Amino acid sequence: MDSAALIPTPDAIPVSWGWFQFFLLLTFFLHILLMNVMLGTAFIAFVSHFRRKAQTTPCTEVISGNLPFAIAFAVNFGVAPLLFVQVLFGHFIYASSILMAVFWLSIVALLAGAYALAYVYKYRYAQLGSSQLLVSGLITLLLLAIAFFFANNISMMQAPTSWTRFFDQPHGLLLNLADPMLLPRYLHFMVSAVAVGGLAIALFFHWKQKKGDQGAGPWVTYGCRWFSYATMLNFAIGLWFLVALPKEILTTSTATGLLLLVTLGGGIVLAAPAIIFGLASRVMPAIVCILATVALMILARSLLRTALLAPWFSVSQLPMSPAYSPLFFFLVFLVAGLALIVWMIRFARRSCTEEGEVHL
Amino acid sequence: MNYPVWQLDFFGGGLLVILIAVFHVYISHFAVGGGLFLVLAERKAHRENNPDILAYVRKHARFFLLITMVAGSMSGVGIWFIISLLNPAATSILIHTFVFAWASEWVFFLIEIVSLFLYYYTFGRMEHRRHQLIGWIYFGSAWMSLFLINGIIGFMLTPGNWLQDSNFWSGFFNPSFWPSLFFRTFFALIIAGLFGLVTATWIKDAHLRITMVRFCARWLLLPFLFFVASGYWYRAALPPELQQMIFARMPSMRLFVDGFFLCSPVLVLGGLLLAIRLPAGLSRSLAVLLLLLGQIYMGCFEFIREGGRRPYIIRDFMYSTSILTKDATRFQSEGLLRTAKWTRNQEINETNKRAAGRELYNLLCLSCHAIDGPMRDIKKLTAPYTPSGLDAMISGLHIFHRAMPPFTGSVKERGALATFIAHGLNGRSDPTPVQRAEKKVEIPPFDPKTDQFVLLAWSPLGMHSVAEVKGLLSLIPPGNTLQAQLIQRGETPEIVNQGVTLSYQMEDGFAGADEKTALSGVMMPEEDVFATEEKALFFVSKQGFDPYPVVTIEARDENDVLLATTKAVAPVPAEMGCSNCHGGSGGLNDRAGLSRATALNILETHDRFSATALLPAALSGKAIRCQSCHADPLFRAEGDKARLNLSASIHGFHANYLRGRGAEACAFCHPSSPTGATSGLRDIHTAVGLDCTNCHGGIEDHALGLLRHEQQEGKGQVNELMAHLTPNSSKSLDKIAPRKPWINQPDCLHCHVDYQPPETDTVTNTWTKDEQSLYRHRTDESGRLFCAACHSSPHALYPAENLDGAQLNALQPLQYQHNPLPLGSNRNCAVCHTVAMEDEMHHAHILRDFRNE
Repeated sequence: MDSAALIPTPDAIPVSWGWFQFFLLLTFFLHILLMNVMLGTAFIAFVSHFRRKAQTTPCTEVISGNLPFAIAFAVNFGVAPLLFVQVLFGHFIYASSILMAVFWLSIVALLAGAYALAYVYKYRYAQLGSSQLLVSGLITLLLLAIAFFFANNISMMQAPTSWTRFFDQPHGLLLNLADPMLLPRYLHFMVSAVAVGGLAIALFFHWKQKKGDQGAGPWVTYGCRWFSYATMLNFAIGLWFLVALPKEILTTSTATGLLLLVTLGGGIVLAAPAIIFGLASRVMPAIVCILATVALMILARSLLRTALLAPWFSVSQLPMSPAYSPLFFFLVFLVAGLALIVWMIRFARRSCTEEGEVHL
Repeated sequence: MNYPVWQLDFFGGGLLVILIAVFHVYISHFAVGGGLFLVLAERKAHRENNPDILAYVRKHARFFLLITMVAGSMSGVGIWFIISLLNPAATSILIHTFVFAWASEWVFFLIEIVSLFLYYYTFGRMEHRRHQLIGWIYFGSAWMSLFLINGIIGFMLTPGNWLQDSNFWSGFFNPSFWPSLFFRTFFALIIAGLFGLVTATWIKDAHLRITMVRFCARWLLLPFLFFVASGYWYRAALPPELQQMIFARMPSMRLFVDGFFLCSPVLVLGGLLLAIRLPAGLSRSLAVLLLLLGQIYMGCFEFIREGGRRPYIIRDFMYSTSILTKDATRFQSEGLLRTAKWTRNQEINETNKRAAGRELYNLLCLSCHAIDGPMRDIKKLTAPYTPSGLDAMISGLHIFHRAMPPFTGSVKERGALATFIAHGLNGRSDPTPVQRAEKKVEIPPFDPKTDQFVLLAWSPLGMHSVAEVKGLLSLIPPGNTLQAQLIQRGETPEIVNQGVTLSYQMEDGFAGADEKTALSGVMMPEEDVFATEEKALFFVSKQGFDPYPVVTIEARDENDVLLATTKAVAPVPAEMGCSNCHGGSGGLNDRAGLSRATALNILETHDRFSATALLPAALSGKAIRCQSCHADPLFRAEGDKARLNLSASIHGFHANYLRGRGAEACAFCHPSSPTGATSGLRDIHTAVGLDCTNCHGGIEDHALGLLRHEQQEGKGQVNELMAHLTPNSSKSLDKIAPRKPWINQPDCLHCHVDYQPPETDTVTNTWTKDEQSLYRHRTDESGRLFCAACHSSPHALYPAENLDGAQLNALQPLQYQHNPLPLGSNRNCAVCHTVAMEDEMHHAHILRDFRNE
């Protein structure tokens, strides 16, 4: 069976593919940060519950209080890149999703379970007692499973040669475990999540510290250590991922290969000072470095996809049926919506009185 | 045909979409209406300066947050996932056409999340007008989400001008956009009230509880009139054919339409009931009940909308099978398996037929049908069909089942699909060719030197079928007659019609309708011919299945002296093919007769298509006789003048499933197949390679002739039956001659003009002008000797032969002239004439050699 013959014919896009690529990268960047905060902090909370309660309660309580927000926004910011990836690569990702349909659809149930548990963890934190470990562990496990299925789908959509297995297994039970890149890729993302989660904890307590919370200092350090050690570990996993890449990808002879090398190199270079800043508990510089690293890594991820799909497809081949006016309306909604959100937050902060006081 | 198909069996037919969508739609409408509920309830609290109400609103806000954020947004993601898994092609069209509508909806979703978090977590910490402003922003953004999604969902039902101009705005602001938007908005308000009732009835303080329950009940009652009005507007905005489809033509929609209309007053009544002071427990139970009822209400509406869209997923653009309407004809000619990307069996042969059928099932059926699952289970729906019956059904499936798309594959692929379903899933097989031992009959003696009489007997009905289940359904009651003529041999033979008695005796083993009466009796003289009274004959003797009982006829004079004896068969062609499509077994050996199960299925199908109540009537003991309503000249049944006659009705309906099949179409129902158990078409014409269609025309012409007659009688219901029938003998429908069943029939002389060898082997659209012109009534030039006396029954003209061999169907020629040819063939006038004959008699060219010996 010729894999190329299996690739569905794409539908026409309404505006130039560059717009979608831009929105995809931008919203995925935001999604991955939020996902990292969500998964990373859940993981850290879970591990923290192994330690004596008094030692970690301030941190885990903060995580429990904010985890539902993180999930809500991670999901919301996941919707947008999922939309844009369907526009550009729908004919790949629909096919791969169907091949692993059972796992792919189970994400909805796993996510709903994690979300519901996050509210239990938040609103029943005190009552849970020793079950905090169990609940946070379950949330982490569910989120890790979701991430694994996502990693599988992305792996499979980029590898049409793996699609022919469908004819022997049409029940939606395929994963792409034979892909040598899958495991390092997954672990790279997960350890990144722990690192960014640590940094998010550090940032939270950094703000508290700035507001005068005397007890916040150790937690800044705590978060920063998670960040730095996880990032160190990620160097090793990243190297594994690098080795697992097809040799022909990392080349200076193509523009994609060259850009991939540059973005990867930039990301690695910027991650090093981030670790150092982390070890020094310097939150803001570490954040700046790691945001830049994440941005570069997301570019590298996109370039890797371009390179892997190059034998089959390029976004520039997508047929176009121009319709720019809906884009205009979207941009208006986006700008106005973001402005409204900023205004609302500022308005709410300005308008809020001291906690507990009720106005009638 | 671009994407792989997730092979689901039990969960097939969109069950997963329904499970997620019905729930999500309910919650998402709550998310819209509930936003307004919160701000107005909060305003009420402040206006009335009532901290208890405010505390309730705060609690309700938390309930709202948890329900909409966890269940609502997760199930929303679920819909995205599931539609792309089950219908990626349509999802891709929606995504690519409306990407910026989806993207804008995402922006409003983000605003919803932020504003709802702010609203809940600042409750009581913000000046109330400011706090309500956040609530209003939430409601506005939630309603904008509805606005945007409504455009996309409406597009699927009524794409409007988008079909012509492919313009985003044409598709978005489609014909049902505004009424649907208002309808859903009012629905959302009602749902907000339903959820509000649940939390309000849990309030402990009795006074506060009744205050808030009444407040919530108003959310049911006040928007209701607007909701109903917008519902009518919505209905009116649908194209007329869609309205007709949903509200009149689709029986499967009835449940949901009735459910929707039934739920409306119940919800209003529930709201009114709750507005009066009820015990806390009762009001809680009622509130939960109403909430569940609201879910059913919403479910019914969504089923109506989704169901009404069938057979399309995007109306007039893409079928539910993901096939674009513009591609359907191409796939029919080129074949689907070759065109679809994700198929393994692109060519069908005997070894891969079932596997190919499975692939076709996945491509064409799975999106709407489950296997052993709750969604339109294909096994149940197709249980009555044999593979060939199902093949026929599929070929015309879209004609009367408006929710079904036309089959979009080749004829061979259709067969493979039918085999997979009927045989692979249901274990049914087509009848196999019959191997019956030749029936031997002792031929009565005849001595041309001494015998003075020649006795000839025949059945006037050649392929008269029997289709009756006693006490339940009678389509054609069992019955046959024999006719006989007694000829006194001589120089000028005489037909004897006086002073003799003709009696008949059925062979051993057969019995009459009461299964006891021996079949024997006296034949009554009718001018020159003697006839038996009509006898109910059955095809089963004590020896087993036998459609050709042999009857012995004797002629005696007034002194009871035996003058002549002969034998003839009285055919009982009971091999109706009803069970091919109507289930049950085909009687004996699965081949002949009508079983009770088959009859029940026929009645149920009739009820379903014609809105009758025959099945319950039959089950309550009233036997259904088709001729009671449908005129039938064969039985002199007048029927109901407004209805189609029986032949026009049956052929007109079934022809739509049997188009383009030549003589095979006839054999689906009638015992005409040369490999069938009866092999009723057994005469010389079969031997020279002709079949039913040479004389009767193809099923299309056959049905159209009958329907055209009814059309001339002003019966408008023929139009639907005729719409998909294309004449096969002519390009113009006007050239199809209208005909009345059993009266306007093909005739020998249409081909054998002036008794000459025919110049053509096919004459269609030419019919006998009246009943007297029929072959069975025709006589020779003398006007006394019946054609059938020498040539035998219609469809059994000498020399006739079938599975029973040559002897059984030519008993009298063998008796009188030791060959199976028509009596007197090859100038063998001596059968009756005792002197040599030189002049032609009886009919022109009679002295010619028999051509097809």
